[in-house]
Amino acid sequence: MMDRRDFLRASGLAFAAAALDACNSQGPRAAQPILRWAERRNQGVETFLFRHRSVDVAPARAPLAGRAFPMYYISSTVPVWDPAVRGAWTLEVSGAVRRPLRLSLDDLAKMPSVTQRVDHFCVEGWTAVAEWRGVRVSELARLAGLAPEAGYVDFQSFDDGYHESWDLASAMHPQTLIAYAMDGRWLGPAHGAPARVHSPVKLGYKNTKYLTKVVFLPQPNGGYWSDEGYEWFGGV
Amino acid sequence: MPHPRHHAVVRITHWVNVIALTIMVGSGLRIFNAYPAFARRGDSFCCYPFEHRSIPADLTFGGWLGGARHWHFAMMWVLALNGLAYVAFIWLHGEWRDLVPRRGDARDAWEMVKFYLFARPDHPRQGKHNVLQRTAYFAMPILGALAVVTGLAVWKPVQLGWLTDLMGGYVWARYWHFLVMLALVAAVLGHVFMVLTVDPYSLRSMITGGWSERFSPESRNARPFYHLWPGRERDDGPA
Repeated sequence: MMDRRDFLRASGLAFAAAALDACNSQGPRAAQPILRWAERRNQGVETFLFRHRSVDVAPARAPLAGRAFPMYYISSTVPVWDPAVRGAWTLEVSGAVRRPLRLSLDDLAKMPSVTQRVDHFCVEGWTAVAEWRGVRVSELARLAGLAPEAGYVDFQSFDDGYHESWDLASAMHPQTLIAYAMDGRWLGPAHGAPARVHSPVKLGYKNTKYLTKVVFLPQPNGGYWSDEGYEWFGGV
Repeated sequence: MPHPRHHAVVRITHWVNVIALTIMVGSGLRIFNAYPAFARRGDSFCCYPFEHRSIPADLTFGGWLGGARHWHFAMMWVLALNGLAYVAFIWLHGEWRDLVPRRGDARDAWEMVKFYLFARPDHPRQGKHNVLQRTAYFAMPILGALAVVTGLAVWKPVQLGWLTDLMGGYVWARYWHFLVMLALVAAVLGHVFMVLTVDPYSLRSMITGGWSERFSPESRNARPFYHLWPGRERDDGPA
């Protein structure tokens, strides 16, 4: 069966091929500026609707996806952090902050943590339930001390340059975590080890895995799939 | 034209709806094809026999998942605002009286069914529309509203979580959204079939508003393809 990565890649190719025609299966080319305008308007609606107290709770009757939780990365093989090559993994919190941080996995694990059983909403339409454990991004922001100009966050990875930037409000949502454990076990390489972003308030592709840097910015910085044409906001 | 069959607002909203609904269904099916199933990962779903079977690509619109999503999230405003404009207009202008259910509709509907099944030779008397039409046209804005509400529940299952919960959660909201789409498509196919086979002249009424008693009598002995039935005399006059 085609996995998410194959599917998205095939979609991207189809997109590129189709874009060569003036009027193609995506509809008239003249409509594209209108669609982009509508996306900006919708982003306004999504921002207007957004509340920190709106939280996701996975239904009690929904089983954990477990092994059925899809794996996904853009590298040709599972990205694995090799300390022999790259040194010990650390998470860098930098950018528009007063006190940049560099945290080891141990540091992260010792910080106040949150354990939550939530949905993962994929842009494709599927959902998967998992129990995530990690540190709130808002906690990292508090420790690092946000500068006034920080309005966005870029979550960067060691997965072939994959990254996605977020609006600050969504990143500060209480369910937005830097997760290091899934279903009661340390995160495995298939799901973004050593640590990843996980939040039910953004579509799956916004949740950067194989995380290396959390960079607070005054401006948005696009993202891997956002730059391919998926919605930048991608809110749920 | 002193008295058009359909007011200009009704005609314009009708054709805007044709475009909006077509694009919504096509782009929705393209989005659905990214995961043509309802079950959560690691779970099963009771009520859809075609899990993981794609919709034929020719029935979809938008080219790729991201493109279809852009069309869907832009056109949803056209669909919703156009529907609101239509309902507000018929409410203020009085056309709603031709569409609301009436006492005796069930009995009249049975008479229409009998007529279509040749169990009754003559067409029951009617006003602007027969009871089956009225019921179908009354149901359309309701189905449209359900499409929008279930769609919002699928779009924002966290920020509008109360709405999604009302529908039984995300998986069910997605299912209801799909079923409402099927009902809308079924209604449209039935509508187009009846227009083309029973009263093709009504197309003119919906474009220019023009109407003539001679071609489109309000109550006449018409079944689908009536003019092709051998040995049946056409009855143009009102019953």
